[in-house]
Amino acid sequence: MRTGRFLALSFAVILVFSSLAIAQLKNPDTIVIATIGDVSTLDPHFSYDTASGEIIYNVYENLIAYKGESLTEFVPLLATEVPSFENGLIKDGGKTYIFPIRKGVKFHNGYELTPEDVAYSFKRCMILDRSGGPSWMLLDPLLGYESIKDLVRDKLKVPSWEDLFTQDGKLKPEYEKGMREIYEMIDRAVEVQDDKVVFRLVKPYPPFLNILAQGAGWSAIVSKKWCVEQGDWPGTPDEWWKYHDPQKEKDPLYEKMNGTGPFKLVEWKKGEYVKLERNEAYWREPAKIRQVVIRRVDEWATRRMLLEKGDADAVYVPRQYLPQIEKMKGIRIIRGLPTLAIEVVLFNFNIRVEGNAYIGSGKLDGEGIPSDFFSDVHVRKGFCYLFDWDTYIKEVWNGEALQPTGIVPKGLLGYDPNGPKYSFNMEKAKEEFMKAWNGEVWNKGFKFTILYNAGNEERRIAAEMLARNARKLNPKFKIEVRGVQWSTYLSDLTKGNLPLFIMGWLADYPDPHNFVQPFLGSKGAFMAYQGRNAVDLAKIEFDPLIEKAMEIVDPKDREKIYFEIQRKEFEHAPHILLYQAMGVHVSRTWIKGWYYNPMRPGGDFYSLYKSAD
Amino acid sequence: MLAYIVRRLLILPFILIGVTFLVFFMMQFLDPVQRLAAYIKSPEELKNLSSEDIERLIKRYGLDRPLWVQYLEWVKKIVHLDLGWSEVAHQPVKDAILSRFPATLELALFAVFPVIWVGIWLGVISAVHRDRLLDQVIRVFAIIGWSLPSFVFGIFILFILYGVLGLFPPGRLSLWAQAVVSSQEFKSYTGLLVIDGILNGRFDVALDALRHLVGPIITLSYLWWAFILRITRSSMLEALNKEYITTARAKGVPERLVIHRHAKRNALIPVVTVAGMMVLGLLGGVVITETIFDYPGIGRLAATASQQLDYPLILGITLFYGFLLVVGNLIVDVLYAIIDPRVRLE
Repeated sequence: MRTGRFLALSFAVILVFSSLAIAQLKNPDTIVIATIGDVSTLDPHFSYDTASGEIIYNVYENLIAYKGESLTEFVPLLATEVPSFENGLIKDGGKTYIFPIRKGVKFHNGYELTPEDVAYSFKRCMILDRSGGPSWMLLDPLLGYESIKDLVRDKLKVPSWEDLFTQDGKLKPEYEKGMREIYEMIDRAVEVQDDKVVFRLVKPYPPFLNILAQGAGWSAIVSKKWCVEQGDWPGTPDEWWKYHDPQKEKDPLYEKMNGTGPFKLVEWKKGEYVKLERNEAYWREPAKIRQVVIRRVDEWATRRMLLEKGDADAVYVPRQYLPQIEKMKGIRIIRGLPTLAIEVVLFNFNIRVEGNAYIGSGKLDGEGIPSDFFSDVHVRKGFCYLFDWDTYIKEVWNGEALQPTGIVPKGLLGYDPNGPKYSFNMEKAKEEFMKAWNGEVWNKGFKFTILYNAGNEERRIAAEMLARNARKLNPKFKIEVRGVQWSTYLSDLTKGNLPLFIMGWLADYPDPHNFVQPFLGSKGAFMAYQGRNAVDLAKIEFDPLIEKAMEIVDPKDREKIYFEIQRKEFEHAPHILLYQAMGVHVSRTWIKGWYYNPMRPGGDFYSLYKSAD
Repeated sequence: MLAYIVRRLLILPFILIGVTFLVFFMMQFLDPVQRLAAYIKSPEELKNLSSEDIERLIKRYGLDRPLWVQYLEWVKKIVHLDLGWSEVAHQPVKDAILSRFPATLELALFAVFPVIWVGIWLGVISAVHRDRLLDQVIRVFAIIGWSLPSFVFGIFILFILYGVLGLFPPGRLSLWAQAVVSSQEFKSYTGLLVIDGILNGRFDVALDALRHLVGPIITLSYLWWAFILRITRSSMLEALNKEYITTARAKGVPERLVIHRHAKRNALIPVVTVAGMMVLGLLGGVVITETIFDYPGIGRLAATASQQLDYPLILGITLFYGFLLVVGNLIVDVLYAIIDPRVRLE
């Protein structure tokens, strides 16, 4: 009794204290962000993730930038003008782009920006082209290949990049001439003309300006002189191949930065924090904030307290914890931010059979599925009708997500709000499954396993929902859902063992091509994991339209083609479109000047400042 | 004794070869692509990676070579003190361990007194007041601590000390102190910030570092007291029942001396063993406490390394732990000899 009262009393005291203790504005000239992002490299041309992208965005600059929240309007940054057909800086039907370069801009180390630096930056990014990196976005429009290795293989007729070299890593003499020619192609694509830089594209490329805009690290401008001093590519054709696809740790720009942006790097304490400081010699007004610290704090409860006490100005909040901070004083929650990301369940049209534990007997006998189970369009459609979007979006996303109407997300050209979409419909699902495999699927049933990478609750629930509804439809439809370590998932995915798998895609640049190509193009990022039959389908049905849409400059005409692509997507159902989530931003109310742009990786610290309410 | 120490140290390399080979051997159960998970850390990183790229990455990191070849390569590099590159830590393994270990060492050093000393003290009181109210209260109090999950108690302590009182924030240093430590003028002698602060004449920095240690130390103390308390208590009770104690009492030795000089000294032998293990445990890092208090110790690093199968880092840390364990046990053995003259190290 006495202890009970004592406990109650002390809790009351604690509650009073915590409600009284409204945090004061701390560190008025510093912004502290507590997040879970793991910065992995500071080389803008190597980086391809948002945590690194946020740092790069604030330290390096591009030729142009998005105008505020817009995705289609640009302002000049290191260029003095945004090219357009009207001002004559886009020519040859969209194959030549001319950028006049700004004068009087200095890098953080004091070197002055020259047009030579700009040309060097783009060539460096193309040559670097690391495995799994972002350089393909420049290579495709400028050289017509998605990678340097593809280009070399095609031009020099070698089976692989490694075949170019002798045992001790020297270029075989017979390839020297060819390699020089390839360098000339790279060199010609981006050229300095007086105080201008000219880009020569191999074909008109409607999203080209998007690919160059601020936020795209691959198009960030570095200082040639400084890079060479760090031991980077000297900008000459000699042995350029030595600077191709470096190991991350051997990349000279891995942990050093020297940009022209409003902030400069002070310290990258690996796994702990990154500290940036205002660039006092910035070519525009210096930033209002003196310092930015991006702290990595893994535990949510700790981040929450840092935010509450005002020691962090903004924190990363996992969706399920949002209710915990809704009533917190001095906190601003901005909801419903449209993201350019889409989550998809992909069917594997040719599942590997040997040693595959996820497809039961490997036959259509009710105890497994055959390799090409999902090659039958009725199977795929049946599954599409089994997903209950309304419940899923309400329960998992608290209503803050959209059901996509096609692979092009809301907010981009080609998004069709009235496009055909699947809905949760057991009747139609039954109809489709009865047609599948000449009715054998319905009569015999099936059995397989869906894997998800453990820890990803959104994916777990989606998979379980499919499994539950399938069993409800027909007790012979048996799907097991299992969470595995990422390493296992990765291995099984790349081997082609997974019958179906869930993947997300975040836009590289805001253009429908960046969604139709990876998901529907035969050379798309995930097509390889969907099997040979899927690739064949894409070649016939999607590739011609995808290519056609890129040859047209007029947005109205392009839109029509993207509508058509997505109608075909509906018809062939190569995947289930799960959702397009809405973003949330959480910060202290004393942070001012924040605005949203879905293409920006993290914060634009230049726009921010702190002031008590 | 010297011969004993030398002999023990001579075994060291063999133990290290043994443990690292064991870890290496476990790798056999993973296929090369699984081990690539350290380099391709999330589904997002698959974005522009073809199966050909995956093959290339496997070749680049030599993940497809026979096990013994990989092991020999690794050993060859170790001889040159090159532990390889850690993709998880984004730096060479050696740097990662050297940058995280001082934080862990500092926490361990400051935790030893409250965790072990106070634990022993509580155990002695408990034994002396055997089965009386004080004994019961202390034991119940300690057992509650032992049964609490560290993530619950840690968050509770953080909430009280930081959330409510605003006194002891998470992290290792405040913003301003961080700036001082990273500045040119501040010399890093030991990596232990309290000591470095004092050596640099920056007592404010030392105090700030100390302030950040309070939360983890309270958490660890309360969670670990029961362990050391129970050992001390039972070993004390045994000692107090010995005949020489009765003799001492009969001689008229004051009770305080009976307890502290006669009984406690003898009771401490098993405690030293356990305490030694605990210190080694602290030096190995305390994952959950570090995570909650955002303390950059080595425990979190090791946990992430094993989660993401960062083999170079796992091996590096194994090597490091193996070294610590051997040397630590040696120190414990030497301590025995000092506490108990009957123990001879030969």
